[in-house]
Amino acid sequence: MATPLGDWVLALDGSTLPDKALIGGKAWSIARMGALGLRVPPAFVITTRACAHYLHEGSEPASLAQEIAAGIAWLEQQTGRRFGAGPNPLLVSVRSGAPISMPGMMDTVLNLGITDETEALLAEECGDPGFARDTHRRFLDLYAHIVLKSETALATDGRPADWRNAIASDAGESVPGRVEEQLARAVHAVFESWNSRRARRYREHHDIPHDLGTAVAVQAMVFGNMDENSGTGVLFSRNPLSGAPTPYGEYLARAQGEDIVSGKHTPQPLEALRTHMPHVHEELLTAARLLEDAGGDVQDIEFTLEKGTLYLLQTRAAKRAPRAAVKIAVDMVAEGRIDPSEALARVSSEQVRTLLSPQLANGAALGAEIAARGEAASPGIGTGAVVLDSDEAERRAANGEAVVLARATTSPNDLHGMIAARAILTEQGGSTSHAAVVGRALGRPCVVGCGAGSLDALAGETVTVDGQNGIVYRGALEVVTPHENDDAALRQIAAWAAHQSPVLVTSEPRNGVSVRFDENIEQADALIAALEPGATVEGALFTNDDKAVRAVIAAGAATIVTSPALPALLAAAQAAGRE
Amino acid sequence: MSPSHLVLHGLAIKKHADAGDIAGLIGLAPEDTARRLDDAVTSGRAVKVGDKYLLTPLARIALESDYSRHYADLRENADFFAAYEAFERINVQLKALITDWQTIDVGGQRVANDHSNSAHDAKVVDRLGELHERADAILGKLATGLPRLDYYRRNLLSALEKAEDGAIEWVSDAKIESYHTLWFELHEDLLRIVGKERAE
Repeated sequence: MATPLGDWVLALDGSTLPDKALIGGKAWSIARMGALGLRVPPAFVITTRACAHYLHEGSEPASLAQEIAAGIAWLEQQTGRRFGAGPNPLLVSVRSGAPISMPGMMDTVLNLGITDETEALLAEECGDPGFARDTHRRFLDLYAHIVLKSETALATDGRPADWRNAIASDAGESVPGRVEEQLARAVHAVFESWNSRRARRYREHHDIPHDLGTAVAVQAMVFGNMDENSGTGVLFSRNPLSGAPTPYGEYLARAQGEDIVSGKHTPQPLEALRTHMPHVHEELLTAARLLEDAGGDVQDIEFTLEKGTLYLLQTRAAKRAPRAAVKIAVDMVAEGRIDPSEALARVSSEQVRTLLSPQLANGAALGAEIAARGEAASPGIGTGAVVLDSDEAERRAANGEAVVLARATTSPNDLHGMIAARAILTEQGGSTSHAAVVGRALGRPCVVGCGAGSLDALAGETVTVDGQNGIVYRGALEVVTPHENDDAALRQIAAWAAHQSPVLVTSEPRNGVSVRFDENIEQADALIAALEPGATVEGALFTNDDKAVRAVIAAGAATIVTSPALPALLAAAQAAGRE
Repeated sequence: MSPSHLVLHGLAIKKHADAGDIAGLIGLAPEDTARRLDDAVTSGRAVKVGDKYLLTPLARIALESDYSRHYADLRENADFFAAYEAFERINVQLKALITDWQTIDVGGQRVANDHSNSAHDAKVVDRLGELHERADAILGKLATGLPRLDYYRRNLLSALEKAEDGAIEWVSDAKIESYHTLWFELHEDLLRIVGKERAE
């Protein structure tokens, strides 16, 4: 057992891996990294049994407060910091964690432990009073929203006393003065969120018992902005763009995690860390290998360095570009990590469609004038007129014009412009910035970090964006469309899919009668309903719509003719693999 | 609050409604509401078409000049006004959410959601549930200042739960008292109470 601190609280010290039903999903993943010998910020967990007791009895177990105090004392001893006091203050995060993730559960409260006094100490420790003040504001904001259920908006330029007053007048109660009481209230709020309306309905709908309860993970906060040997970064155990089996990542010295995601700073490649702190770099790569072995899939790992000590914050299966998804799936079968059926499940027909979509013709780039260069963030080719504003991009695209969206950085407010654009460019940010992440998710070619002021002058000009190589060319270059048989990895996927698919999927027209969908696309549902067993169906619909593939298989079709065939073949194989 | 004002207010919010719908909104008995509506027809302030009522243009203008008198106290109530401002903030989020409900990204284009992608729909309904819980806390505060606003709390929840159970027309169908229809009426109601114009 991760060491018990009594009947209701466990210190997640990595000694063993407790049952997920007892400690919930969040604590379980912390404990799992610990059990692999990796360093995570110290954490303890209040078990689901304590929650069940609270909900059943209407009050927390008699010894819980004392055990939470023991948990805090353990965190203090692990970190050399003090909760709510100096000289080095300990701040914690409080997270809900049910054994099964479900809607309606409480969000995370960060930075608990900050007070006027500890804010001053933190400001001194990191030499950044603005950061310490913002840490204080974020805590009050989260506590007000999550624990006190207040919708108060806290002005970013305010002072803590004003914030507290605003919260008290809106919520009808104050944020407690003592950090121990804040923690107890946050824990109760997690317990109570188990019985939120949505959580209850979800459990009823999915036959999940109401008495499981949620656990509460309390974890020390670590800070990547303490000194020159601090920083934050993201590491992928393989390259998520190309699929190459080499680790890939970014690092930003003297920064917190949100600084990377916001794209306001341009991070450095991981190599910078190798030069600055080789032992940390080596430790990270070892961790990436361990986590990939344990997870059986490419990992996306968030880490923070605090005063030269590496902490792993989170790991999950990495999102990947279409090219990488195919390469990694094929490679992992060759490495004996997964079987072909699992490989097929890890490649989507959407990714295959993207790979078979238009690309720059050989030699087209020779002699073309380069308008800008940046970091390749999402592959593909997009040609269009450069537009600097997301609303304008959306409007002009709606009128049938091809546009390329160019922004200093992007935020969720630019999403409609990014969707409308054929490609996305930014001046600042790296390959994990918002523009890069969203561009990859949308399958839009994307080049980021082109440099401050590099894009404004291109407004109105037609450019061709090469998202694979991070280059923006002037003019519209020639583009070609690849074929699935020309690529070894795609051929391998096609062979496995053909083996698993219950129907024949081909791009070769068949002799005999076939039901043609292209000319009757508006009557597709009626055509499917009227299919005879053993029928042959034909149409572009099947390349572009997995649901149509599943529907004709369910209706008894034996052959699907469409070009390119691979997306539909993959959808057919996956439908069979899922049964 | 004078019942005759309330009846006309109910008609202004519901636009074209029968006595039962209006009674529910303003919290009067249906018979009482029907009688007062018929009185309004007699005095030329409303017209009746079938079993539904409409405000006459002059009555609409007269009604609008009447709000400041009826809601003077509430307009001075700092708690109520703070809750109203919180509502306006969450209203921005609701509008974005309804946009995600009505349109969907298909092959890079934003097109009308034909509700064939149940995963997309389920995600939006889940977000609506999360937003509702935050909105409900605000509505609780508004109803403390003006109890008849509890009507919206009950009916928003009921529309939400129907949508959660799979009757997705209860998210935004304009022809029924869907979540969005009710929300729009609530917003209109609040704007009249506090004496503001719709922003867009």
